[in-house]
Amino acid sequence: MIVRKYEQPLTSYLGRMTGEREAALDFAQEIFIKVYCSLGSYRPAYKFSTWLFKIASNHLIDHWRKKKIPTVSLDQPVDGGDGPLTPQVPDPGPSVIRKFELVEIRQKIERALEAVPETLRELFVLRHVNEFSYEEIADIKSLPVGTVKNRVFQAKEMLRKRMEGS
Amino acid sequence: MRICPRPEDLYLYLEGELGPYQARTLEEHLERCAACRGRLAERRLLHEAFTSLPPFEVPPDFALSVMDSLPEPAEGKAGWLAPLIAGTTSLVVGLLGFYLLTGESLSDMLVAISRFFGSAAGRFLPLLAKTFKIGGLLLKVAADVVSMFFAGLGAFSRSLGPQGIGLILGLGFLMSLFIFFGAKRLLSLGEKT
Repeated sequence: MIVRKYEQPLTSYLGRMTGEREAALDFAQEIFIKVYCSLGSYRPAYKFSTWLFKIASNHLIDHWRKKKIPTVSLDQPVDGGDGPLTPQVPDPGPSVIRKFELVEIRQKIERALEAVPETLRELFVLRHVNEFSYEEIADIKSLPVGTVKNRVFQAKEMLRKRMEGS
Repeated sequence: MRICPRPEDLYLYLEGELGPYQARTLEEHLERCAACRGRLAERRLLHEAFTSLPPFEVPPDFALSVMDSLPEPAEGKAGWLAPLIAGTTSLVVGLLGFYLLTGESLSDMLVAISRFFGSAAGRFLPLLAKTFKIGGLLLKVAADVVSMFFAGLGAFSRSLGPQGIGLILGLGFLMSLFIFFGAKRLLSLGEKT
């Protein structure tokens, strides 16, 4: 079932793009309906996930254009309607010290991510949260692969510098 | 590599996106450059954190709520119903219009329509039958001609034997070569015959 397979990656992407859990779930529902209505236009030559995230990305862009949502301030942790946005963290690494180090870094990243401009943040999320290849991201966003690599790098450096300052 | 690598390349190295030659060159540089080793260690930790950001939790009933909100499929609304309604409506409107214009009663109209269709069928059906009959005869004649041609060809080839067939094919090949090169020469000279 398509919804079961893609609900988590899609919501993870939308959650980090909107910064709100409830909005992410609402968007995910709208996108699944849109996908269902456009199934006739899907060409099996392309990966389904790439097509789905292309629709999701366009949906977000449309939403931002309509609402003109400003970038949220990132110096404070974001809370969704039902609880904190930062999700449960699975066991990350070999040593306990490293584990706590990584947990702390992840929390900082989640907070710092919201200060990154949407154009860079989206590519970063697609690469590192959704684990798309640079080529797949280039397909989703209709951008050259070099541009995608460069923007993901910019996002990472922005995150690194922001975390250094915090 | 004497020059320190770009930070972009350090990330690409950690992601395994550098080519084997570039990766080896970078590793050789790292052996000599403590500053770059420090930069790489810092980015390695970040990279591990980037690649292990946890997924969002989705409510267990999310898929069901999505399925409930899907619109009804368009095919469910009986695709044949709309043309049937349109056809019936246009027939009724046509009959009503005819009645209003001519003043004929419904029974007269039905009789006139059935007569019209009867006379049209009476003219058209014999013509169609004749067409089919002539077409069948033509097909039969064509089949006979084709079978005769192939039978004659078989008898001719049997009478010639393998050497005769080879000779004819060779002559045909030579003739086609002459025709081809002759035509090519004529065209190249711009002659018109």
